[in-house]
Amino acid sequence: MFGQLIVSGLAVGACYALLAIAMVIIYKTSEVLNFAQGEMAMVSTFVAFTMLDAYHVPFPWAAALTFLFAIFLGIFFEIVFLRQAKDPTVIGLIIITLGFEMVLMGFAGWKWGPDQRSFPFPISNIETYNIGGLLISKINFWTILITLVLMFILFLFFRYTKLGIAMRATQQNQLAARVMGIRTKWILSFTWAISSIVGAVAGMLIAALGVLDPPMMMDPLLKGFASGVLGGMTSLPGTAVGGAMLGIIENLFGGYVSLAFKSVVAFIIIILMLCIRPSGLLARHYVKKV
Amino acid sequence: MVKKNLSLIGLLMATVFIIAVPASAQKVQGVTDTEILIGQWGPQTGPAAPWGAVARGTDLLVKIINEEGGIHGRKFKYFLRDDSYQPAKTKAIAKEFVEQIGVFAVVGGVGVATGMTARDYLMENKIPWCGPVTGVYEWITPIQKYLFAIYPLYDDEAFNLTGYLDEKLGYKKIAMFYQNDDYGKQGVMGVERYLLKKKINLVAKVSAEVTDRDLSTHALKLKNSGAEAVIMWTMPTHAALILAETAKIGFKPQWATSSTLSDSALMMQITKGLWVGMINSFFGELPDSNHPLMVKYREWHKKLAPQERWGVFYYAGIIFSEPFFEGVRRAGKNLTPETWISAMETLKNWQGIGPPISYSKPNHPMDRQGGKHVFYGKVKPDGNIQRLTDWIQITK
Repeated sequence: MFGQLIVSGLAVGACYALLAIAMVIIYKTSEVLNFAQGEMAMVSTFVAFTMLDAYHVPFPWAAALTFLFAIFLGIFFEIVFLRQAKDPTVIGLIIITLGFEMVLMGFAGWKWGPDQRSFPFPISNIETYNIGGLLISKINFWTILITLVLMFILFLFFRYTKLGIAMRATQQNQLAARVMGIRTKWILSFTWAISSIVGAVAGMLIAALGVLDPPMMMDPLLKGFASGVLGGMTSLPGTAVGGAMLGIIENLFGGYVSLAFKSVVAFIIIILMLCIRPSGLLARHYVKKV
Repeated sequence: MVKKNLSLIGLLMATVFIIAVPASAQKVQGVTDTEILIGQWGPQTGPAAPWGAVARGTDLLVKIINEEGGIHGRKFKYFLRDDSYQPAKTKAIAKEFVEQIGVFAVVGGVGVATGMTARDYLMENKIPWCGPVTGVYEWITPIQKYLFAIYPLYDDEAFNLTGYLDEKLGYKKIAMFYQNDDYGKQGVMGVERYLLKKKINLVAKVSAEVTDRDLSTHALKLKNSGAEAVIMWTMPTHAALILAETAKIGFKPQWATSSTLSDSALMMQITKGLWVGMINSFFGELPDSNHPLMVKYREWHKKLAPQERWGVFYYAGIIFSEPFFEGVRRAGKNLTPETWISAMETLKNWQGIGPPISYSKPNHPMDRQGGKHVFYGKVKPDGNIQRLTDWIQITK
């Protein structure tokens, strides 16, 4: 049972990590916690579902078009809502994301209705691989793999590309970045687009693992946030480690201590981390000079 | 001075008279010569939203009755409000129904915790409430004069379902997977009561919180229990998740579940076919039934609400409101809460498309428990139901 709990924990942790990565990308650039991340992912997943179910678009095309939609959604939100905020403070911007979350939730309920649906995904969520006696479902295996690959690509992007460095510079000091010739507004839009794509990937995987319905991202988003806090909200590898750890801790707690309190573990971790090490396990503590 | 005082008293009396006249002229709240106002809450959004179809099903029956000319010359005005399965919202909706809209009665209403926030308020205001869409003891204990329960009791439903698995199908190692709230716990109560009576151990009791989306640990615990049969008392999302998780780890027991998950078409779709073989209890006719009322309702459904899927959750809204309208019919032209209550107490084995309904004067909690029957069915590979039994009385 122990091994199986670890494997299942890693799989669910990969989903948390994906959402956390999506949040961290935005946080790294603008210090805004995007609470609409879950619903942006949910709406993108519904768009994919509509293409697959109603128009019978082949999955690769549906996924590609969904990513395009996700880019549009991210940029739209940044330009139409966040950029229009007058004298924006971080708190003010976070509140705007909460408002957008509710708008998207209402929109999804109106457009697609409240019924749960099964998301057509090319990888089975029942068939399994047997790795050394441990069963891992194909979709869980691919979720872990996709998360690792995405994380690696993003890590390289932030570390080695000009655009990635520009994004980090924008986060550290927007004014200085602008003086150095970085088009910070464009950078911010680009950040939201990337984050929205990562969220859409998470949304499709989570829907394939369970069911597709408007509130499907409520729990994963909170767990994603907890993963970010655990690993460090400014560290991509930290976020992935945080997600995996949270998934495993939750499963072990549920398996050996109490199932009833399993879902509370994430919130205890948030509180503990904020008290003991607010920067997270793998992020360096960031001090703003005055 | 005396003249001034007299004018003041006269003015005061006139004011009292003006205020008093409309109060005595308006005889019954929510009832006029041409209209009866009724309301229902239900989750149209949020995790329990599939159950919100119930409230829309009632809307269909209201429309049918209105199309047929109403009852005793009065048509119904129906107010549906979304409470998102959040008790705080339900309480606010109940207050809106009573204080702003002024309904005659509340019909249906999905949820235990949600309904419980409104129960005492409605009863204090003497608002008739017919057919809360859950089968818990809270509706009949303590006995409420204005509250008529219809939904067969979960406790008795679970007790009898366990008995069916044990006595008819021979399963002795039974586990329970349930939602950790009043709804799930009353299911557990019935299962444990039966097993205790038969001196059989419940091999596992695994609960899930409403917001849980990862049930891999739950599945492992069920598998490790070695159960031959698992009874589940959850919402549709959790049913789909646990079937997928148990299938992944190769655990394939005989599943059985309550009438709350009897919308086979929906369950087949969200479980990607894993619902096949499920033993279900049912509180109403099957979707394709040839019962004359079902045929009639299906025809009206095509005309009046073609956008809605004809499934159990949807027409449950008809099942849980039919007795209310029968009470209005029997109460006659002089409709008041009192005449409606007396009329409801004349229902003896009255049946629409749901279970036989009987009420009596409230001397015992079961006098206000209308539905006491369910039947069992098994889901076939094509998603249709093979009916296993006739109506079985589960509450004595």
